[in-house]
Amino acid sequence: MSWIDLCAIDDIPLRGARRIKTAQGCVALFRTGDTEVFAAADRCPHKGGPLSEGIVHGQSVTCPLHNMVFDLTTGQARGEAMQIQTHALRIEDGRVLIDGAKLRARSAA
Amino acid sequence: MDGKIDTPTDTFIQVAEVWVPKDDVLVYAAGDTNGLGAFEEASRGTRFAKGEGLPGKAWAEARPVVLKGFDGSYFKRTEVAKEAGLSAAVAVPVFDGDTLKAVLVVLCGDDAERIGAIEVWTANRDGLLMLDDGYYGAAEEFAFVSQHTCFPRGQGLPGGVWAADAPILMRDLGSGYKFVRASAAGKAGLTSGIGLPVRVPGGTPYVLTLLSALGTPIARRFEVWAVKRGGKAVLIDGVCEREGALWRDDGDGTRAEAPKAEAWKGPVGQVLGTGLPVVQRGAGGLPAGYGAFVGLPSYGGGAMTHIVAWYI
Amino acid sequence: MSTRKLVVIGAGMASGRALEHLFEAAPGQWDVTLFNAEPRGNYNRIMLSPVLSGEKSYGEIVIHDDDWYAQHGVTCRFGEKVLSIDADAKLVEGEKGVVPYDKLLIATGSTPFIVPLPGHDLDGVIAYRDLEDTNRMIDAAATPGARVVVIGGGLLGLEAAAGLRLRGMEVTVVHLMGHLMDRQLDESAGFLLRKSLESRGIDIRCGANSKEILGENGKVRALLLDDGTELSCDLLVMAVGIRPNIALAKEAGLATGRGIHVDGQMITSNADILSVGECIEHDGAVFGLVAPLYDQAKVAAQTLLGTHATFVQKQLSTKLKVTGCDLFSAGDFAEGDGREDIVFRDPGRGIYKRLVIEGHRLIGAVMYGDTADSNWFFGLIRDGTDIDDMRETLIFGPAYQGGASADPLSAVAALPPEAEICGCNGICKGTITDAIAGGATDLGAVRAQTKASASCGTCTGLVEQLLQVTLGDAFQMPAAQPICGCCDLSHEDVRRLIKAQELKSQEAVWQELGWKTRNGCHVCRPAVNFYLLADWPLEYRDDPQSRFVNERKHANIQKDGTFSVVPRMWGGITTPAELRAIADAAEKYAVPTVKVTGGQRIDLLGVKGEDLPGIWADLNAAGLVSGHAYSKGLRTVKTCVGTDHCRFGTQDSTGLGVKLEQILWGSWTPHKVKLAVSGCPRNCAEATCKDVGIVCVDSGYQVGVGGAAGMDVKETERLGDAATEQEAIDLTVAFIQLYRENAKYLDRPYKWVAKVGLDWVKARVVDDLDERARLIAAFDLSQSIYRKDPWAEEAKRAPAFQPVADLTLEAAE
Repeated sequence: MSWIDLCAIDDIPLRGARRIKTAQGCVALFRTGDTEVFAAADRCPHKGGPLSEGIVHGQSVTCPLHNMVFDLTTGQARGEAMQIQTHALRIEDGRVLIDGAKLRARSAA
Repeated sequence: MDGKIDTPTDTFIQVAEVWVPKDDVLVYAAGDTNGLGAFEEASRGTRFAKGEGLPGKAWAEARPVVLKGFDGSYFKRTEVAKEAGLSAAVAVPVFDGDTLKAVLVVLCGDDAERIGAIEVWTANRDGLLMLDDGYYGAAEEFAFVSQHTCFPRGQGLPGGVWAADAPILMRDLGSGYKFVRASAAGKAGLTSGIGLPVRVPGGTPYVLTLLSALGTPIARRFEVWAVKRGGKAVLIDGVCEREGALWRDDGDGTRAEAPKAEAWKGPVGQVLGTGLPVVQRGAGGLPAGYGAFVGLPSYGGGAMTHIVAWYI
Repeated sequence: MSTRKLVVIGAGMASGRALEHLFEAAPGQWDVTLFNAEPRGNYNRIMLSPVLSGEKSYGEIVIHDDDWYAQHGVTCRFGEKVLSIDADAKLVEGEKGVVPYDKLLIATGSTPFIVPLPGHDLDGVIAYRDLEDTNRMIDAAATPGARVVVIGGGLLGLEAAAGLRLRGMEVTVVHLMGHLMDRQLDESAGFLLRKSLESRGIDIRCGANSKEILGENGKVRALLLDDGTELSCDLLVMAVGIRPNIALAKEAGLATGRGIHVDGQMITSNADILSVGECIEHDGAVFGLVAPLYDQAKVAAQTLLGTHATFVQKQLSTKLKVTGCDLFSAGDFAEGDGREDIVFRDPGRGIYKRLVIEGHRLIGAVMYGDTADSNWFFGLIRDGTDIDDMRETLIFGPAYQGGASADPLSAVAALPPEAEICGCNGICKGTITDAIAGGATDLGAVRAQTKASASCGTCTGLVEQLLQVTLGDAFQMPAAQPICGCCDLSHEDVRRLIKAQELKSQEAVWQELGWKTRNGCHVCRPAVNFYLLADWPLEYRDDPQSRFVNERKHANIQKDGTFSVVPRMWGGITTPAELRAIADAAEKYAVPTVKVTGGQRIDLLGVKGEDLPGIWADLNAAGLVSGHAYSKGLRTVKTCVGTDHCRFGTQDSTGLGVKLEQILWGSWTPHKVKLAVSGCPRNCAEATCKDVGIVCVDSGYQVGVGGAAGMDVKETERLGDAATEQEAIDLTVAFIQLYRENAKYLDRPYKWVAKVGLDWVKARVVDDLDERARLIAAFDLSQSIYRKDPWAEEAKRAPAFQPVADLTLEAAE
């Protein structure tokens, strides 16, 4: 694994989100708690809504366009056969790190 | 603390008794009259209706009541009390929600040598705890200081008990500044103190404090038990003149081998089982070197939350 | 076996435990010399807090007394500092002479971290670490009315605060993070802890950043926060954390990082030197709680004895030693994939419990108010027990395991008649069932007769269950319409309770009203956020993370993810300069569509999210502000030209429209609010289908409310007639404030008026002049916070609109 330092955890508003650009499109970082951040695809598979603009609650996010609710721990949509890609993150000394190897591997594939 | 107190000392509290409601009157349930047989006999033959006598007053007014001087008062057993040398009494009602479970009455002797304090504190309109009343024996200066001290929430023993809504045991009252009234307490020879919330219908906060002096102790051993589900209790704090500190805490919260009590087993177990105050003398189950036990439960949220116990 | 020489530096709890193990397993084998910088032996440092509060005495927390050291032949060199270690010659040099060793155990512990604020070296600024610090605090508390500021709202800081408060001091806690004990507790438990400490008279400031310590004659006088607040104090306690004390080991040439590096056997980079306690670093971790220190002590003793043992890091648990604050936290309740929360709240008793489950195992627990079962939960976490079979009842603890699953109705049926149902009014089950038997067959009747559920209302569900149990099919459970699945309360109940219980934060609402989720969902959170800001404009601030995207972005999201931008044009009036600025911005940001809206505004459609701060700044520069075309708030006031130009105009309708818009703009409302002012009954501004529509007539102004022209079309109803322009404005403002205070979130005024009745509204807005004045004052107060341009605010934080990182190159490598 190679971990890429993305930002300070406080750059992401509590119960809010920020985006990162990657070769396969935007990935959203969701801060669900003081020290809890999840990474998942920013694009809602339903109609392409930007999930980083949705309301973050518990460990879920609600798409701003049509209220699809995604469980950020699994990427699974609640009550729908739909899923978003999730990414492993690490929090270290207040910094948020993403697994770069996986991002790369996926873009190579 | 090594076994130096085997000679029986005079005690501050001489009589402790438990009154329980039965068919709308309070009847005598148990007591430790410390050899004052005539007084016990008089108590056994007495009934108190709500509002009648000291226990009935504590019931009717739903608050702890301090009575100093029986002559001409509502106290019903004045003659026999005087013969026994008793001159002051405190009645503490034990309520579970709106229901009276029992009234604990303690009586003290009239003696210029006796030092100690039994105090009842209650909140005034400004949200400060003021002394409602107290009995101090010969500790007159301390009585005066106490009457002129008030405690905001969180401050001092009474304020701490009020804010924590839990019994608090304090050590070394007189030394240093470990107690808001320390200087007066030190002069009076008061060493340790225990405070407990007395919950009554209507929610008026009352705090009962017992401050003990070495010469005429209220107790030589204090215990605070937290009541757990399923008729169990765990000792969370305690101090004993013979055994020293009774609490066990390694600090990691997991290996603490705190003493436990189970319903109906031992004197604390009697409190757990009956849900009532328990007064006991001489029976088995007391820690070595102690002859008498008083256990007082307190209730909150529909269940017993703590037991405060003292031993002589 | 000949005795060997062991030198121990530091007589703390870790080295003390190591010696206990050593003497127990191999009495007489080691000749021990023990250095300690403090002039005393090993005491239970963790229990300093009860000593500070007066609940324990120092004598009670001594672990090893003189007798113990004498009995085990320990040479005590207390109060003597170690100057150096000569690892080659195997010598330790103390202030009073050199001692040779065969093995050396370094247990120098940690030093408190002092934030290097200006003034940190003033007299009266202390850390909280040892008995000396404790005694200094006790001395400081001796002065009547002395004030103390504690920096740090963690375990140690809060214990110090509570102890000093018990001693009679005026205490303020300053904490950098948003909630107390943020490393051990989640927000909900932090909220309850804060509430409990505040009820002790302790002043708590979260999210507060210290700037400078102010002094006078070399002594601390006050702490200055970066928001300018000055907290005066006679004593300042820093309890922000600890750092491993590694100076000695580092000078001796041992490998160090954050702490002294040790392997699993507690051996440092030198084979004859071991180290345990808070000074070490093992596998990247340093340690502050006692449980792992004791594990290390055991391993170190075994290493010294020649037995193989390995230190393994385990799950930890935390308790706060403040009498009456019952909290527990263990394991991991943050970060990670595939986790599930179970939350239990009992607002009546101030209880909050949260369990975190991953797969088949419990991995974390936070509890407040009832920690009776904490050891059981901790055992499940530590042992990795499979909890699948008890998942449903897990949160209720061990007593509930193995029983049948609980049916709420049977639970209510099983309650004894004396069981209390309504805590506020002390109403027990028997009283309620008697009332039901006596003919009170619905909630309202039970409420009226017994007062049950009439105060805080949280027992409403129980009372309804009692009605159902007692009446059977004769009772129709009301189709309860809770806001969402997170709670059992309706919008109306939540509004009422926020006012009645003075709930002023989201955490307070979640806890006190028994929310079943950690922090709500997309349905309830925007509503709760609005109710709080409408009822407590000064105490509560709008939370952008509880707003739908449009209101957070201050622009309307379009179906392709772009946004629309609508500048405000007061009353529909604009100027050539404004139009030019709009045209320039539209060209600069390549806006594909420019449209005139139905509310007399210009809409720029198709702006990219990251361009928003730029276009706002450009429009701001021309004096244009946000038109709030996206908000649940005042949208537009549409006007006709009135007496200025129109030959039929009766009043200055444009002027009134501009005034109204300038008073009302920026306010948040339950749903959007649109106004119009027409200059004559010909009604060119279409005022009679607006939320508030004013039609000017010769005699003054007709104020109508509750119109609609959307999915429903409805004409306004006459609220009242105003003789003067000011009265028309007053009626409008009072009506909107009444709507803000009472309507359900997402109810437009016409829906709300239909629910409460126009007469109810008139009674307050038109007839009761005192109430009208109160409504206007309340609105003005709220507007003192919210009447400002969000674009200007948002444009300042432009970087937040950009992606936080760009990995397109990184990932493509």
